[in-house]
Amino acid sequence: MLIEILQQTINGLAIGGVYVLIALGLTTVFGILGIAHFAHGSVSMSGGYLTYFLVTAQGLPLLAAIPAALAAGFLLGVLVEMLAYRPVRHANHINAFIVALGLTMMVEGINLQLFGHEQVVIPTGLNRVFRLGGITVPELRLYVIIAAILLVVAMMIFVERTKTGQAIRAVAENRDAAILMGVNVKTIPLIVFGMSTALGVAAGIMVGALFAIAPGIGEGLVVKGFAVLILGGLGSFPGAILGGTVLGITESIAAGFISSGYKDVIAFVVMIIVLLIRPQGLLGRAP
Amino acid sequence: MKRSLSFLPWLLALIVLAMLPELLPVKYYLHLSILALIWVIVAQGQNLIQGFTGYVSIVQAGFMGIGAYGSALLSLNLQWPLWATVAMAPVITALFALLTGYPSLRVKGHYFAIVTLAFNLIIVIVLVHYSELTKGEAGISNIPKPWGGSREAFYYLALVLASALTLLAALIARSRVGEILLAIRQNEDLVAAVGIAAWKYKLFAFVVSAMYAGLGGALYAHFQGFINPEIFGVAQSLDAILAVILGGAGTIAGPAIGAFLVVFLPELLRFADSFRLILYGLILVLATIFMPIGIVGIARSGFARMTGRGGQHGG
Amino acid sequence: MPNYKFMPNHTFTRACAALAMSLVCGASLAAEKKLTVGVADALTGGGAVYGLPQANAVKMAADEINVAGGIKVGPDVYKIDVIAYDDKANPTEATNAVRKLIDRDGVKYILGFCCSGSTSAVASFIRNEKAVMLVGNAAERSITTAKIPNLVRTRPPADYSGQAAGTFIARKGQKRIAVLGALDVGFYAQYVDSVERELKKAGGEIIAREIFSLKDRDMSPQLTKIRGLNPDAILVVGYVEPAAFVYRQAVELGMNIPRYGFTSGSEEQFLRVTTSEQMEGVWDLRPTELTLLSASKNGVAYHANYTKIFNASPSPSSPYAYDQLYALKAAVEAAGTVDNTEAVAKALRTIPVPPQVVMQYQPVDGKMFDSNGQAYTSNGAFQWQKGKWVFVEDLPSDSKAYSQFLSTLN
Repeated sequence: MLIEILQQTINGLAIGGVYVLIALGLTTVFGILGIAHFAHGSVSMSGGYLTYFLVTAQGLPLLAAIPAALAAGFLLGVLVEMLAYRPVRHANHINAFIVALGLTMMVEGINLQLFGHEQVVIPTGLNRVFRLGGITVPELRLYVIIAAILLVVAMMIFVERTKTGQAIRAVAENRDAAILMGVNVKTIPLIVFGMSTALGVAAGIMVGALFAIAPGIGEGLVVKGFAVLILGGLGSFPGAILGGTVLGITESIAAGFISSGYKDVIAFVVMIIVLLIRPQGLLGRAP
Repeated sequence: MKRSLSFLPWLLALIVLAMLPELLPVKYYLHLSILALIWVIVAQGQNLIQGFTGYVSIVQAGFMGIGAYGSALLSLNLQWPLWATVAMAPVITALFALLTGYPSLRVKGHYFAIVTLAFNLIIVIVLVHYSELTKGEAGISNIPKPWGGSREAFYYLALVLASALTLLAALIARSRVGEILLAIRQNEDLVAAVGIAAWKYKLFAFVVSAMYAGLGGALYAHFQGFINPEIFGVAQSLDAILAVILGGAGTIAGPAIGAFLVVFLPELLRFADSFRLILYGLILVLATIFMPIGIVGIARSGFARMTGRGGQHGG
Repeated sequence: MPNYKFMPNHTFTRACAALAMSLVCGASLAAEKKLTVGVADALTGGGAVYGLPQANAVKMAADEINVAGGIKVGPDVYKIDVIAYDDKANPTEATNAVRKLIDRDGVKYILGFCCSGSTSAVASFIRNEKAVMLVGNAAERSITTAKIPNLVRTRPPADYSGQAAGTFIARKGQKRIAVLGALDVGFYAQYVDSVERELKKAGGEIIAREIFSLKDRDMSPQLTKIRGLNPDAILVVGYVEPAAFVYRQAVELGMNIPRYGFTSGSEEQFLRVTTSEQMEGVWDLRPTELTLLSASKNGVAYHANYTKIFNASPSPSSPYAYDQLYALKAAVEAAGTVDNTEAVAKALRTIPVPPQVVMQYQPVDGKMFDSNGQAYTSNGAFQWQKGKWVFVEDLPSDSKAYSQFLSTLN
């Protein structure tokens, strides 16, 4: 029993790490720009597809393809902000949300045109499995978990220690005061979108290597990402990290001990219960 | 705009719609028109919460599903007469809407959208897995159709119901409740500040919008004769949102026009084959950026410019 | 030209060439008539994995029949024209597509139908139409239990194969079987029910029924639970794409027990996800369908032609649609009419298996389709050996007995 619980926790950690990365991107965009970037999942999957393309069709080594895809992700994020969201910045927040929905359809459609309807898996050649007592961990899963942790730490350092990071935080906390302090509020959204999309692409690569990228997978992930935000608290970094980990492990435990058919329902019910008890989320600030 | 004037286009539209079965030589278009009329009902409901109250709900198709399954199961398992099952559908849906509306409406803006979306996902998962009752993904066939499946007769049923519910939506919009809903959309804190319990009105809008969807779903079930969970997924909820936005949020004519668009547009885009999704998304993005007030809004401001009067924006 | 639009772009030019050729041929024969058949199938979306190859297969059969002289009805010769619409495997879209085919395009014969939900939606109203519906890969059993006189199906229901699979597993001597599959989908659950019946006869049992959904790719939670139950073997039923992950993750979790499946995936589809070593020894218990090792002469030719025209391997299930058109041709010729759909529908239930079909049908009383409108193929046991599916043996399947069983359902 204990071994099974431990094994299920480890099973849930990898997907939890993916959730954390997706949610960090969403929460940054939301905290700073107030946009529910619904297209985030599909855009992130484009980066995963790109990595697949670079590795399989162009013969690039994986370690070269990843930085290229991350850079492309950054640019894609900048483009999305400029072309789709900037025109509706000052309109009702509903409009930005609807632009996000339209964008999701477009990106899903473009992914389908370029990469087809069959699932793709990024080849890594990493097939070893580590065993510890009764617990098994495939090496790829371990690397995904480690990479997720490294990315989260890097992101924290960026936001806490660099000038740009501090400016982003200033805008998030008080936009008007930030303008008064001389923060350039025109470039901040671009950087935020670029960074968030790069993080999303990292998640897309992890999904593509560990599982698979296929039509609809991105949309599923973004819904989970928002669930994480609601769990942890919109706009809260620690909330996204805690929420993502909790959701990943909850799903795994729910599938293993309660019902595999209803595991998503259980995850959403947990989210709704948290909302009823703490509307601002686990680590969100009270309004 | 004067009421006497705004009445005319409605009358004209009704006359054309009433003659439509005679005007359409190809029954395929009649089939699509019936679907569009059902979507008018669904979209008018969506407009109450999205257009007037300013809360984007992403569970409209899920509520359609509850109405559709409710009505289909009552007629197949308990042999209720058709009028009774269709009348029960909005009631059943209202119960679910009360249950889901309470937690959803504790939060605002994007939170609300995501929570309702989660509810739509939950509804579909339950419809798929609770197969003892719903027959799962395989779906329910042989749902009774009224008048021996006559499409002309069903068309008039849908037309009468869609017109009546559009009128009801107009009445709600012009009542005190409608004014408060509009005030909530513009500034919810202010509404609370003057001592109005905004949550009651929001819950009212949410439940009524769900009842519209439930009725629309029941009509769909008895028109098509077949339902499965796929039909009531998030993609269809997005169609309801799209109908409201394209037509004109917060107007009465808007959702009606938008409903016809979301049914006919994908069929007209069949020529685009696999580019359909991209084109559809592009239309949505461009429409929101360049005509956020919808077709009705544009028509109004154009009309106003022509007659030299100030335009009234639908928001 | 619009008929060919849904093919992958790189095959577009070839298709144009083929079309131009058939136009030229058509012109030289002058006064012949045209029979338009419709295809409603998933050309985009998740179902396209099954639907697109089916639509392509119908095109290919039409071209072949046209080149070979068309359909002969009394003194007339008909050349076949194909209109294909996308139904995204969605019930509403499928209904709209078929309404358009029947009402606007005046089509009387509708082929394709890869997926159960969209097919059931159309089946629910086709009885009242002057049209004939030929169903392909959709495996939901109830499609042919409704006794719809103008509907036939080339693919046998899943539980027909499940019965054969159950006997096979029982014979291997494993008693406690854990199932992991897309059990939310009716026909997969029916397959498992059939397996369970046969297992019980041999004193075996199914000890777990765990579920994955179409979009799940991480099945390690379910597998961890199954591992804790210590089964003798696992049975994986479901679409190829998630199923491949079950096989891989079972190995990763150190589960070293026999693995049976009902997935019908090709080697490419599995190798995208797993290594060949991770697949070694896996069984697939399913209709024989199109597998080069077990294929007839027709099968080999089909594979070669399809690959040439569409620049991709045909999916194992695509011949279900190809065979539809040859069955239709035989029925139209037997009925001696293209306009009287009732007569053609009746004739479909009397024709023997046409010589050109690809799948290996097991006729019931000498007829391709039984009185329910259902056709039966043979079932086979395939095993993954060194990177390939190897046909090991025919599974004992009694089409006549199953046909009688099907007649008792409604």
